[in-house]
Amino acid sequence: MKIIACYSNKGGVGKTATSVNLAHAYAGAGHKVLLCDLDPQGASSFYLRVKPSKKLTDARFFEDIARFTKSIRASDFDNLDVLPANMTFRDFDVFLSRMRNKRSRLKKALVSAGSDYEVIILDCPPNFSTLSENVFKAADQIVVPVIPTTLSERSFTQLVGFFAANKLPKKKLRAFFSMVQQRKNLHLETMAAMRNLYPKRFLYSTIPFAADIERMGQNRAPVGEYAPRSVSGSAYRRLYDELENGVVSKR
Amino acid sequence: MVRVKSNFVIPGVFDEAGFAKVLKKRIPRLDAAEPQARFDILDSHDQSLRASGKALIQIDGTLILLHGPRAETQYCQGNGKFVKDLPDGPVKAGLMGFPKLRALMTVGAGRVERRAFAILDNLQKTQVRGTMKLMSSEQGQVTVLTVQHMRGYDRAYKAVCEKLTQIEARNGKAEPVFDGLFPDAIIYKAKPEICIGKQEPSIEVARDIIRTYLTVARQNEAGVIADIDTEFLHDYRVSMRRVRSVISLFKGVFSPEQTAAFKGEFSDLMAPTGSMRDLDVYLLEKDNYFNLIPPNLHHGARAMFAQFEKDRAQAFERLSRRFRTQAYDKQMKEVTELFADPSGMQPGPNADRPAYEYACSLIWKRYRKTCKLARSITPDTPDETVHKLRIDCKKLRYLMEFFALLFDRKAFKTIIKPLKRLQDNLGLFNDFSVQQDALLKMIELHSNTHGRTDAQLALSVGGLIAVLDQRQKAERDRVVANFKHFDSPDIRHLFRSLFHQKED
Repeated sequence: MKIIACYSNKGGVGKTATSVNLAHAYAGAGHKVLLCDLDPQGASSFYLRVKPSKKLTDARFFEDIARFTKSIRASDFDNLDVLPANMTFRDFDVFLSRMRNKRSRLKKALVSAGSDYEVIILDCPPNFSTLSENVFKAADQIVVPVIPTTLSERSFTQLVGFFAANKLPKKKLRAFFSMVQQRKNLHLETMAAMRNLYPKRFLYSTIPFAADIERMGQNRAPVGEYAPRSVSGSAYRRLYDELENGVVSKR
Repeated sequence: MVRVKSNFVIPGVFDEAGFAKVLKKRIPRLDAAEPQARFDILDSHDQSLRASGKALIQIDGTLILLHGPRAETQYCQGNGKFVKDLPDGPVKAGLMGFPKLRALMTVGAGRVERRAFAILDNLQKTQVRGTMKLMSSEQGQVTVLTVQHMRGYDRAYKAVCEKLTQIEARNGKAEPVFDGLFPDAIIYKAKPEICIGKQEPSIEVARDIIRTYLTVARQNEAGVIADIDTEFLHDYRVSMRRVRSVISLFKGVFSPEQTAAFKGEFSDLMAPTGSMRDLDVYLLEKDNYFNLIPPNLHHGARAMFAQFEKDRAQAFERLSRRFRTQAYDKQMKEVTELFADPSGMQPGPNADRPAYEYACSLIWKRYRKTCKLARSITPDTPDETVHKLRIDCKKLRYLMEFFALLFDRKAFKTIIKPLKRLQDNLGLFNDFSVQQDALLKMIELHSNTHGRTDAQLALSVGGLIAVLDQRQKAERDRVVANFKHFDSPDIRHLFRSLFHQKED
């Protein structure tokens, strides 16, 4: 099982869209996926039409296996389940290590409920907190959307600095450029500069700034469902391919 | 845990609008229908699946085994196959109890229209998913709804299931599928119950039994011709043998001339089926034969079975051609008509004896005769006597089965059990001896004019005969013990009280 976190310490960079579309791409490729909505605004649940669960507000929640497994909801898509939790969990790292441990009670309960997840995608809230630190430690890959602008550049530098200061493995950071507008010189220049500065941190795939992605809020579905052949639909597929298989395809 | 999938059989066409109304806050959404496809209901000839509360439906390349709310699905074809030949999977596992010698065959067919549906909440989020199969035959329609639970939406699933339970057909398990689609279908029974009265004249009883078994025999002809499985011919022969045993065992019911004429006619009817059945039995036993002899003799055995298969193909060709001739059909029709009409009978001296009294005397006599013979058997008695005992037991069993309805069911069961054991024992004894003879005969056939034969073949046959002979001896040794079981004081008392009260 692998844990992929979608994280950015800056808001509004397309984090939730990435989590939902990545989760959808993984599920479409046949992996059993659990998308955990850790953002208090519950945006990824909203995109998948899953109502946020009000009851899951105490921190002991993850110890209560029965309640945990019960609050998982099936999405409308095969292989994709959602955990619509809307709070910051103190013991989240404990939870994640239990998810990984085949012999933990939690994992056994999930397996017996027919949900032996292969991929867990975490939609994280945009801040540095105990939760995010836990996520950094537990996740196998941290996917970071970066808008090629000055402010985002600053945020990313902060993130890399945080990893260095806390001796976290920087290898986990898989950044990509999000909401890219090819006709803007600033975007192109920033991208070139950042790739130069962090040659190993950035994926080749980029996600364009596109109306199709913004329409997710209206359609309440992953882009791959309503616009699979669009530029953004194939961009997310390429992102998945690069993340999962290391395949880089030219546009 | 909530059951993940549930199936509902609804008589006729599913009322979507009515269902939408009862769901209240939730909205059903039906997809467009897929192109119509053919469906086959598969079962054995005697519909043993149906009897066990299951229905096996084949649509395109998919098998669906319905039993109650549960259903198994497997992607494969089942028509004409034996269960052991299906690829491993849930349907095969669900067919565990299916008769080994029976092949799956179409017992009914029609068109099916499939549609997927979803039950949505106010956000258009799917809460329950499902498929709807509208199955139509020439005689009726049923809808099979499969609803699938979605993680985290237990309440919606429960609510939908509850509503569907209210409209589903109520007569148990898979029966509504058969009832709805084929209400007029006649279920084949190899041993139908024949109603006879205690005071009914014996000639009437004889006619009833003969007529019934002639019908049973005829129901197997098509299956023999189509060569679906070996049980068709077996059932055909068993039915004909029952007819013949009525004629020979019901002494004095028909005039001596007519009895002789019937005997000849039915013997002629049955004779052409013998060789094919023998070959069927060898081929069914193929694996056992190979297990009996060491692998270095297998080469010859393979050659032998190749020959059996060739012979069997020929025998089948002959028999199926015969079954399809007009002459055969005419003969069977005439015989059936003859027994349907009492005026065609020539009554013998026992024709008017009431059934109960006649049955008692027949069974009692046969029982005493059988016992006398059995008691005389020692390790030195010739095999012929043991063969005779087998035939006597068989006659006793037939007589008891013909009149079973006139007697206490429980007492009969008690008697039949040890009798059956003895018969199985004697049956094996006989099979082993017949098989030895057949093997010798085959070698004779495949020798040249100097009596020489292929060494490999002869080796295998020799090995087999040695083993078969030992087995036959072992079975023979068991006969005395098994008879003792049957000859216990309890059973003796039961026989006396059932069939020999008057003289007491």
